This record gives sequence, structure tokens and C-alpha cells, in this order.
Amino acid sequence: MRQDRIGFLFLTPALIAVVLFYLLPVVMTAVFAFTNMSTSTGIRGGDYMLTEGSLRDLREQGLNEATLSHLADAGYVVDAEGLAALAEAFGAPLAERVEAALGGQSFATGRDLERALRDLRAPEIRMTRDRKRAADLFQRSVLNIRHDTAAALAADLSAAGIPQSEQDPIVEVAYTGWSWTTRNFELLLSLPSTARYAINTLIYVALTLVIFNVGLGLFLAISTFYLPERTAATFRAIWFMPRILPPVLYVLMWKWLMWDNGFLASALAPFGVERINWMMHSEYHAWVAVILINGVVGASFGMIIFASAIKAIPQTMLLASEVDGATRWQQVRFIILPQMRWPILFVTAYQTLSLLASFEYILLSTGGGPGSATEVWAMAAFRTALNNYGGNLQYGMGATFALVLVIIGTALSLLYLRFFNFQALLAKPRIER
Amino acid sequence: MTKRLLSATALCSVLAATATAQTYEIRVWSGGSSEADSYRWEAIEMAADILEREAAIRGEEITISIEYMWEFGGWAEFKQAVTLAAEAGDAPEIVVTSHLDIAPWSQAGYIVPVEDYLDLDAWPLSDVYPNLMDIAAFNGVQWGIPQDAESRPFFFWRDHMRAIGYSDAEIDALPEAVLAGEYTLQNVLEDATRAVEMGLVEEGMGFSPRVSNGPDYAQFYQSFGGELYDPESGKLVLDRAAMTEFYQFFVDAVAAGVTSRTHIGTDWNEWYADVANGNAAMWHGGTWHYGRYLSEGNEDFFGTVAFTLIPAGGTEAGRANTITHPLVYLVTDQGDDDVQNIAAQLVEIATEPRINTLHAIKSAHLAVAESQSSVPLYAQDPWADAATSVLLPHANSQPNHPDYGVYSEAMWSGLESAWTGVQTPEEAVAELEAELVSVLGDKLIVR
Repeated sequence: MRQDRIGFLFLTPALIAVVLFYLLPVVMTAVFAFTNMSTSTGIRGGDYMLTEGSLRDLREQGLNEATLSHLADAGYVVDAEGLAALAEAFGAPLAERVEAALGGQSFATGRDLERALRDLRAPEIRMTRDRKRAADLFQRSVLNIRHDTAAALAADLSAAGIPQSEQDPIVEVAYTGWSWTTRNFELLLSLPSTARYAINTLIYVALTLVIFNVGLGLFLAISTFYLPERTAATFRAIWFMPRILPPVLYVLMWKWLMWDNGFLASALAPFGVERINWMMHSEYHAWVAVILINGVVGASFGMIIFASAIKAIPQTMLLASEVDGATRWQQVRFIILPQMRWPILFVTAYQTLSLLASFEYILLSTGGGPGSATEVWAMAAFRTALNNYGGNLQYGMGATFALVLVIIGTALSLLYLRFFNFQALLAKPRIER
Repeated sequence: MTKRLLSATALCSVLAATATAQTYEIRVWSGGSSEADSYRWEAIEMAADILEREAAIRGEEITISIEYMWEFGGWAEFKQAVTLAAEAGDAPEIVVTSHLDIAPWSQAGYIVPVEDYLDLDAWPLSDVYPNLMDIAAFNGVQWGIPQDAESRPFFFWRDHMRAIGYSDAEIDALPEAVLAGEYTLQNVLEDATRAVEMGLVEEGMGFSPRVSNGPDYAQFYQSFGGELYDPESGKLVLDRAAMTEFYQFFVDAVAAGVTSRTHIGTDWNEWYADVANGNAAMWHGGTWHYGRYLSEGNEDFFGTVAFTLIPAGGTEAGRANTITHPLVYLVTDQGDDDVQNIAAQLVEIATEPRINTLHAIKSAHLAVAESQSSVPLYAQDPWADAATSVLLPHANSQPNHPDYGVYSEAMWSGLESAWTGVQTPEEAVAELEAELVSVLGDKLIVR
């Protein structure tokens, strides 16, 4: 019991990290995905504010014209109620002057009333701020006033003479915040671009994984295995460089290599090859670039894992095979590869997930282009939620993209665990049995 | 006795002063700014000095400290920074940003209307161009004050135009010809092709457009008669024919070899150096590029470059046009009316003609108020003077609509697909339509 508790104590930091950095973001992504949250709606929830825009929406919804014009034209009225408030705030003399000059008049906007008040040249309201405060006392329009709650707006609507029966749609339109919705998922299914992002992601993950992260990784591990230790270490260190370089620098070097004024174009020009942007010339060029850039980084991970796995193979097996006259190829085929199953499975599983979620090299190199030909799912999530020149970021929609990724990632992990029989992987290495 | 009385008086006045002294800390965050735009925040510092002095004369003691920030990486980072700060209740008091942010930020409650604090009928605000004031308004409410104005002209390299057969008089008459719809984008294609064929510029450099998304591209949609917004219904508009022709123009430019297929994403510095030194026959940019062209080594701007509105597309519905995309001063909701009031006052003072002119000329932007043309610094600047008269009267803006961002991103993505040959213009427009109809629903009119 006591030991359990100590074990639990040791696990606590890890558990906290899992909750903070995995569970919480996933839960929040899931919550956001079911909302229409955007910059406009804010995150904290909304207020209730009727605007010209909301009146247009209400007209389309078929709210009766009388109510609409009542809402639109209420404006500012110099009435007894306002005058009483004015007398209280600024004294009776001002109220009397205003009543004499403007009593009973209506003004479409606060600005019109302020003009009229300014013309009075009354000392009490000579300061702009005071004049605005005075004008506000006559406001009968509910437009452009932020109300904290629906009840507050409804109360103002009642005061403005809008019948109870018509208030519900008005309050609903006036809500500025976000609401729960499943529309993001419907959109995801119906938008032509989502299918493209899905296909792009499949191409990106599959090709990078098979050719580089596993294929090249394995090739490097096996080929360096047969080199003298010192040479092999140097060789592996070189392959590790791209992983250590900051991504921005790494991609910049690819750009210098591939752009129309870059090394490749310049080197080929004397041979009569047209100067083109080798990274962006067509979607095929872009794909090759994207997979190369990611693959060269990705291969080193597999290389290290595979190389250490090969080292774990008992030397005696290889020596014995050599005595039996096996060639290098036969050693690879019949001794090394069969014992590499677990590391290969591990690298495949791990790299699938990490490729699914990664897009930084694509963003830095092709930017998803040409014409969103290399835009992958994770990048679409980023763009939708966090990058918009016009300014209205679609947090809800972006989260929906991200949630799908989380679901696919989780499903794939479970599948891999089952398919590769993770239990056995964790058991005592077979080599030592 | 007298001494004691004196010290008592002194003590009283010190106490009184401490009692009435007000300290305000105002933070100004400025998006899309460079060193040359320093008067976006320095104007607020100057305004603070004036406001303190005015208060002192009235017998009030206020101290205003200004803190500013302008290095955000890019627009996206800036907008994230502001919205996150606002959500955390820690937004800067004054924000200098695109007018397009007014629609979403006003709905979200991040900003307060400046009209709640300022007399729009009094100088200096009464002097600001009404169309610019409209651009800083949304839903009939004045949310912000224009901080600068600009427009986005079409440029011609004079030497290359001469070489392909234009006389000096014809080049000088280009602004009128463009305005009248006599010189269109079709002529642009022909002339750019000639410039490439004659070897005046390299292939792909006949016409060198902006390298990234921006308001500029909406101009070409307007060139073919497209409208972005229907003021009557308050809805965004997708004009299929105009959009297709706009995409087609760029596809034609690529096919003719005058524009590079891989032009999008070109490094800005490289692009500036090219267009400022005659490596492109034609291009389009912003009025503020003037300053940059000079610093790229172009010592005779008027002798080497001609500028016009963006030409009409050459179709019946098309028109020559230019878009102005003013930045605006916005005051954020601090939950403290006094702070907002001070912030608004600072913005008002910063808008005074002399102060705003410092920004206009230093950053090669245009005036926001009529009387700035009488400020010597402005009147004596050849570029400000010329650009104001040729371009600004014909400038329109992109709509303040909460969903314009979605529209603009989708329009750009369609253009990219067509431009790079991934889709035909028709396919790209069809996908754009499907996308916008799904996302915007009845907030969009398709024509």
C-alpha cells in the first residue's frame, strides 16, 4: 500500500504534464469544435447589442415593419423624462433652457442632438464629455448599447414599447457571443477544400514515412553498420545535422538551393536548362520539395533507432553466418531485417503521428502552395484558427479541423498498438531469450 | 509667523496637487509598422505632452506615460496579440490597425466607439475626409479615427514604355487614359509582352504584381466590374463573371510570359529592389512604396516611374479603380471611462494636421484631413501632392464586414490555384463559390 503511494507520488509530475499538455488541450479543442467561436464572438461569451446590421437580419427573418421602424427610428427625444434627468444631473436652469429651445423635438442620432445642444452655448455643457452625458439622457433608441444580459436588453425593449411577443428573436439576433453548434462538422463534410487537405495529408504522411523516415532510416542504419565505427559515427552525425538546425534556417537553405536564382537553377543554366523555381514550379515540384525537406530531417530519427537495434543483435549470429558463407545481402535479409520488426513498427507508429500534426516545414517552404496543392490538414487548422489577413479568426472551425486530427491520431495509435502487439514489444527482448 | 504660514500654504498646495494629480498609463500597439511609421506612436506621445499642458492651464494636473510596441512579426501575430490581450483584459489602450478589424472587434466588445468621447463636428475631426471617416465607422457608429491614408496605384517604368513606342506625352497622359477606360489591363498585357519580347526585361518581369495576399488583389476584381459589398443589404458580393475574368487575367499574364508562375511568395526585398530599378516593366504597389523605392537607390522617381489607377479590365462592366486601406486609431474597452476618455483625446490631438503630416511625409502615406494640404511639409512634398490629387478621389475601401476576412482569404486561395495552374479560372471560381456559399450562407450574394 505504502509502496503504491510512493509509486503514485513518482508518477505525479508525469500525470500533471499529461493533463496539462495533452488532456486539457484536447478537451478544449473538442469544446471549441462545437462552437461558432471567432474573433467576432470573442471567447469569454457575449453581450447583447442591437445594431443596424441586426435590424437588417431581423427584416430578413420577417419581423414586422412597424417594430423594425420603431427600433430604427427611436433615436433621441427631448421629453419630460429626459428633462427631469437633465435637471438632476446638471441643474434646473440648463433643463429649462433645453426645454425652451428643444422641448418635444426628436433627433435621429446622438450627434444631431449634440449639435443642437452645442448651439445653446450653455456653460454647463461646454465640455464635450458633459455634452455627451447630457445627450445620453435623452436616448430612447436601444441601438448600439451593450447589455450584459438578455434580461437587461428585454427590459430596455419593453421600456421602448416593443411587445413581449416580439422580443425573443430580437434578443437572439442581438447576442454578440458564441453559441453551441454542429455546423463546423457539416461544413467540414461539404467543403471541397477539406477533401483536398485530406488527400494532401495522406500523400505527405505516406510518402515521407515510407521513403524517408523508415526506408532511408533503415538504409542508413544498415549501411553505417558495416562501416568502421568512427566513420559510421561521423556519417550519422552529418545526417543528424538537419534535425539540429533551426527550421527557419534549414528551409532557407533549401530555398537557396531550389529557387529560380538559387544554386540548382544557376548550376543547370549553362547546360541549357530553363531557370525555374524548382520548389514551386508546379505541384509536382512542390511535393518533391516538401517530402525531401521533411524526409531528410525525419530519416535521422529512424537511423538512430535502427542503428542501436542492429547493435543489439548478438555478434555471434553474424559471425556464424559468415562462417556459413553468407553474403552481406543474405545477412541483411535473413538476420538483420527479421530482428528489426519492432523498431520498424515503433518508428512507423511514432512518425505517422508526428507527421500528421506537423506542418512547419511546409509553411516555411511552399506555404501550402502552389495554390494550396501542398496544404495539409494541420496547416489548414492553423490558418483557419490563427491566420487571417482580414482579421476574423475562426477559432471554432479551426478547432474542428484539429479535433479530427486528434481523433485520427488516437485511432491510429490504438490500431498500431493492437496491430503491432505492443504487449509483446514491451516484453523481454526476444534476442535475449 | 509668516514663514509658518508660507510653509503651511506650501504643504496645502502639495497636498491639493497630490489629491488632483492623475496618472494615466497609455499603451499604444501598432500593427504592420516599420521604423518609418514611428509617428503612429510618436504622435500619441506628442499628443500626451499637449494634453498635459492643456490640463495644467486649466489647473488640473495629469501625467500621461506612453508605452508603445510595434514589432510583432507580421499582421497575423499582431492581431493574435491584441485579441489575446483583450480576452485577458489587458489590451493596450490604443491600437493602430487595419480598418477591417473594426467589424469583428466591435462585436467582440474589444473596442469602444470614439464617438462616445469626441466631438466629431469639431476641429480637427470635422476636417478629416468624410470618406475616410466612413471607413472607420461600422453599423452607423464611429468606432475609430483614420490614422493614415494610402492608395494602391499601378506603376510603369518610363524607359521601357518609351522603348516600346510611347512618347513622353503619351506616358504623361496615361493617368487620364486609364481613368477614361481607354488604357485597360488588356493593354497592360500587350505592352508587357512587348517589353519581354524586346528583351527590355527578363521573362516573367513584364508585369510584377504584389507577392502576397493583400487588399491589392480586390482591385483587379473591381477592374472587371466586381463589387465586394452590397451596401443596401449589408451582404458580401461574389460576382462570378468578374471573378473569373480577374483570375483569367493573371493566367493570361503567366501564359504570355510576362508574369512568373511562381511569383507568389517572392521575397519582398528582392521585389522592391527589382521594381525600383527598372527590372520590371509594370507593377502595382502602394503609395507608401515611394519612400522604399528611393531607399532602393531610385534617385529620380518622377523621371523613371509613371503611375495611374489600376486600369479597368477591358470588359464592359469594368472600371479603373484603387483601394485605400487606411489604418485607424481604435480605443479599447478598459472598463474605465476616464482612461478611455484620455485615450480618445490623445487620438484626437494626434489627428491634428501638423502632427498627422509628420507621419504622412515620413512614411510616404497620404493625408487624412483636407487642411493637411496647406501644411508646408505636406504641400512641398511632390509625391504626397501628386498622389493625393490623382488617386485619392477615386479610392474606395474594402467593406467593414465581420466575414470579409473569410471572403478575402478564399478569393486569394482561388487566385493562387488559377495563377499557378493547379486549377482553371472556371474551376477555381466554382470552388470559391461552393466554399463561400457553404461558409457564409445568406450573408453572401452570388451574381
